[in-house]
Amino acid sequence: MGKLYARTTPPPDLNKNTEWFMYPGVWTIYILILFFAWIAVLSVAACSPGTAWTIVNLFHFGVTYHYFHWKKGTPFAEDQGVYNALTWWEQMDNGKQLTQNRKFVTVVPVILYLLASHTSNYQRPMLFLNSLAAFVLVVAKFPNMHKVRIFGINAGR
Amino acid sequence: MVRLPYFIALTTLFSYVLIFTIGRLRDLFRTLVDFYRPKSEGDQGYAPICLGLEDFYSRRLYRRIQDCFGRPLAGAPDTWIDVVDRHSNDSNKTIQRTADTRRCLNLGSYNYLGFAASDEYCTPRVVDCLKKYSPSTCSVRVDGGTTKLHAELEDLVARFVGKPAAVIFGMGYATNSSIIPVLTGKGGLIISDSLNHNSIVNGARGSGAVVRVFQHNTPLHLEEVLREQVAAGQPRTHRPWKKIIVIVEGIYSMEGEICKLPEIVAVCKKYKAYTYLDEAHSIGAVGKSGRGVCELLGVDPADVDVMMGTFTKSFGSCGGYIAASKEIIQYLKYACPAHLYATSMSPPAVEQVICAMKVISGEDGSNRGAVKLARIRENSNFFRSQLQKMGLQVLGDNDSPIMPIMLYNPSKIPAFSRECLKQNVAVVTVAFPATPLLLARARICISASHTREDLIRGLKVISEVGDLVGIKYFPVEPEKHLAESGGAMVD
Repeated sequence: MGKLYARTTPPPDLNKNTEWFMYPGVWTIYILILFFAWIAVLSVAACSPGTAWTIVNLFHFGVTYHYFHWKKGTPFAEDQGVYNALTWWEQMDNGKQLTQNRKFVTVVPVILYLLASHTSNYQRPMLFLNSLAAFVLVVAKFPNMHKVRIFGINAGR
Repeated sequence: MVRLPYFIALTTLFSYVLIFTIGRLRDLFRTLVDFYRPKSEGDQGYAPICLGLEDFYSRRLYRRIQDCFGRPLAGAPDTWIDVVDRHSNDSNKTIQRTADTRRCLNLGSYNYLGFAASDEYCTPRVVDCLKKYSPSTCSVRVDGGTTKLHAELEDLVARFVGKPAAVIFGMGYATNSSIIPVLTGKGGLIISDSLNHNSIVNGARGSGAVVRVFQHNTPLHLEEVLREQVAAGQPRTHRPWKKIIVIVEGIYSMEGEICKLPEIVAVCKKYKAYTYLDEAHSIGAVGKSGRGVCELLGVDPADVDVMMGTFTKSFGSCGGYIAASKEIIQYLKYACPAHLYATSMSPPAVEQVICAMKVISGEDGSNRGAVKLARIRENSNFFRSQLQKMGLQVLGDNDSPIMPIMLYNPSKIPAFSRECLKQNVAVVTVAFPATPLLLARARICISASHTREDLIRGLKVISEVGDLVGIKYFPVEPEKHLAESGGAMVD
C-alpha cells in the first residue's frame, strides 16, 4: 500500500514558474496527455494511426515551441520581472544545462518523431513536416542555444 | 517532506494544464475581440500597464475564485465572526456586498491567545489610554512620537523575550523589510530558509547583499551552503564576506512546522554566522510561559543574535519589535528608516500589548495567562489528532497552533471554502503563489478562546465537507473500542 504514495521534498527553486516541474508525476502526465491526445484525434478525425501521430506531433511542436521557447517571462508579477528576458526553457533548473528534466523533455520530440514517421510509413508530405518539427525542437534545446536569439528574433520585450 | 497519492499529483497537474489552456483560449478570444473594436483616442501613445503576460495568473486563475479570498467581516475577529454575504453577477469579475451577514466559527484568524476581541483586563485600559493619548502620536519616534508607553513596552518586550534591549515599530511587515537592509549591505551574505515570509524576502532583496537559500528546515543543507559560501567568498573577487546572516522563522505560517533551532544555532556558531529569528507566529503562542520557540526548544536567547516578532498574532494589536543586544538596538535606533521616518506605534495599540504581556506573564495578578497557554496547546493537539484520525493530511508539528490541511487540486480550493461557508465555518484557503503550485492547502489557526464544543463543531463540518470534496487522502483510523476503557472518553 505504501507504494501508492509519492514522497517529495520541495526543492529550493525560487522561480515559481519552473519549480512545479520538479514534482513527481510531471513526466508521467506529459506522456499520458500525449497518448490521450492521440486517442482523441483518432476518435474525432477517424484517420489512420500514422496521420493521428503526425497531427499530435505537429500540435506538440506548436504548443511546446510557443510556451517553452517563445514566450518570455512569468505569468505573475510577484517576481518583479527578473525573468522577463528568459524563455521558460532558459529559466528551467535555474539555467543549469543537461539536468534530468531537460534531458527528458529533449527526448520526447524525438520519440514522437519516430512514432509519427514510422506509423505513417515515411510518406513524403508528412515526413517533411515531422522532420522539421523534430529538428527545430531539438536544436532549440541544445545547451549552446542558451539565451541565443538568431537574427534577433524574439529579442524584444 | 510531502506525501501525496500519485494519482492526486497527476490529476493536479492535469487540472492546472486545463485551467491554463482555457485561460489562454479566453485571452486569445479577448485579443480578437479587441482587434475589431474601435480604439478610443485617449489610449494612443501610452505604454501598456502590464508587460506581456504578467497578470495572467491574477486574471485567469485567481479572479475566477476570488470570492474565497478577501471576505469582508462585520466585527472583531473573535471565536465567532460575522462574515458579510456577497454575490456576483458576472462569474466573479466583480463582487457586490449585500447587507446580510452570517455568524461563522472563526478558524482562520491568528488569534492564538484570544486577545483579538474584548478582554476583561486589556480593553478598559486601552480605552482609557485612547482617551488620554489619542489614537495616533502623529509623529515619528525621534521627533515627538516616543511616549512613556513606548519606553515601557520596549523594556517589557526585552524582559519578556530574554534579551538586553528591544525597539518597536508600527508595522510587522515593515519591521523585517526595513531592518534587514540596515543590518547588512553590499558585501554581506544573507542565507534564508526557502519558505521565508515575503517581508524577509523583500528586506533581503532591498539590502543589496547576496542572497542564498537553503532547503526548508534542513540544518545539513544549511551547513553545506555555509561551507560553500565561506570557502568561495564574495562573487568575482573571492574576498571574504563582510557579514553572514542566517534568517529563519520560529513557526512557518504555511506549514505549521517549528524551526529546528538548536541545530541551526549550532551550525551558525560553528561557521561564525549571525542568526536572525522571526518569531511572528511563535511568540506568545508556544513555550511553557509563552516566550516562543527558544523556550519550547530549550535554546538560550543569548545564542540568537537578533530576535524579531510581531504583536499582531498573539497579542491582538499591531506592530513589530526587534530584540537584541544593547549595541545593536542603539545602532538600529540611529540607522533604521522605520524608526527615523515612520510614524510611531499607536498608543492604544502599545497599551494593548503591555496589558496582554502582563496577562501572559501573570503580572496582572491572575492566572489567566497560564490558563490560555495551556488551553491553546490542548486545543491544537486535540484538533490536529482528530483531523489526522479522519484521514485528512495535516502538516505541522505537535504543539503548533497552525494546521494546514492539504487540498492539492485547484478546484478543491473554492469547493472547500464555499462549502464550509455554507455551513457557517470560516476557513482560509491558500493557493499559489503563497504556496508552491501543486500544494494548495486550507490553513486552520486554533485559538485559546475556542471551546471544546466549538472545536467539535468545526471538526464535524470539516469532516462532512472533506467527504464531499474528496480530500481524505489517507486511510481513516478505526474508532477505538470505547468498551475497553470502561465507557469513559479519555481525551
